[in-house]
Amino acid sequence: MAEHTPFPVQVLTPEGELFSREVQMISTRTTVGSIGLLANHEPLLATLEPTELRLYVTESEVVRFAQSEGYMQVAANRALLLLQEAHEPGALDVAQLRDRLAEAERELEHAAEDSERRRTAAREQRRLTVFLRIAEAAQH
Amino acid sequence: MASQRDVRTRISAVKNIQKITRAMEMVAAARLRRAEQRIEALRPYADAIRRMTRQASEAAGDLPTLPILSEHPSIQRVGLLVVAGDRGLAGAFNSNAVRAGVGAGREHLGQGREVVYFASGRRPASSLSFRGLPVSQSFIGFSDRPAYADARAIAERLMTAYVDGEVDQVEVFYNGYISPLSQVIRRETLLPLQRATVLDESVGAASEQESAARRGAVEYEPAPEEILKRLVPDYVEISIFRALLESTASEHGARMTAMRNASENASSLIEDLTLQMNRARQAEITQEIMEVVAGAEGLG
Repeated sequence: MAEHTPFPVQVLTPEGELFSREVQMISTRTTVGSIGLLANHEPLLATLEPTELRLYVTESEVVRFAQSEGYMQVAANRALLLLQEAHEPGALDVAQLRDRLAEAERELEHAAEDSERRRTAAREQRRLTVFLRIAEAAQH
Repeated sequence: MASQRDVRTRISAVKNIQKITRAMEMVAAARLRRAEQRIEALRPYADAIRRMTRQASEAAGDLPTLPILSEHPSIQRVGLLVVAGDRGLAGAFNSNAVRAGVGAGREHLGQGREVVYFASGRRPASSLSFRGLPVSQSFIGFSDRPAYADARAIAERLMTAYVDGEVDQVEVFYNGYISPLSQVIRRETLLPLQRATVLDESVGAASEQESAARRGAVEYEPAPEEILKRLVPDYVEISIFRALLESTASEHGARMTAMRNASENASSLIEDLTLQMNRARQAEITQEIMEVVAGAEGLG
């Protein structure tokens, strides 16, 4: 990654502020697709999907979080990320995630077609699958 | 009358209890401070969600018609969520929340509605089933330190029940936190979600960031209507998370007060027992002197 102009980024969760620094690039995933966000981006409001959030403070210093669903607002060259959950990859518990994923899959099997219960279970499954992948990668 | 030795044993027993209640009081005080900080930490997030909702709803023209926003034609089944703790020894904290929920349940039954309970915390779960009331689901194991994921799990269960027609209304009961010494029972309607709750204008003026956003053309990914469909259910999750956090702070506050009272009670009990022990000792001494005097007289 070449040098880019830094811009301020804040990451908020319901449990408090997780990150507030200048970064060169944000790499995340919106509902539309993966996105790499640089300074002076045009104003944006987007919904975020579970993925590994990468905050490139410098070329070598990358802060990573397992991100759940959320929102990203960009305005006046500042980015605000609201995430329901964000975990440091090393803090995730692989065994626990596997159990919860298995439970979500069972729930998905039992939920009636086109019910709210099914949509909820599908979201849970997607989120846990991503978290598990990040957790397993962090172990190696 | 109890002998000196009996009283001394009781005093040491009470002193041991006092050590435990003092320790519990201090633990509760430390946890209370953390719980208060977590209530504070939620505010910036909740405010930002409100501002984004306002921005998206201005762009979309209005809120979308979502199932959780629309009232059911008639209310036949009501879901009641009772939020309290996993553990006892916190004064009337648990029983107050349960009593409020059960009281409201009786009201609904009186109006010919069916009532189904949801419990957050081991205590309300067990006391509701002990009373033979129908508990649809219990959420346990986090009342000391609830995470947002816990609130989301409860919210998803309740919204699912509402949207899939299992219930026609959902209310929540919890100990609202005012101060370490004062908690009040709150009763709120969670579902259907009121449009006024979502479009609350009380959040301060738009930030610099937002005004800039309004001036410039904003790119929405996906369309504002779709973003709102995600934002609106968040209000239910945030309301429940706030209820869990306030309930946790209230629990620690109530436990701290209960344990302080217990420690003070132990102090006065120790005073009484010490007095009793001194009396017993004095009585024994007097008895011995009498015996010596009587013995001396017998010799003389």
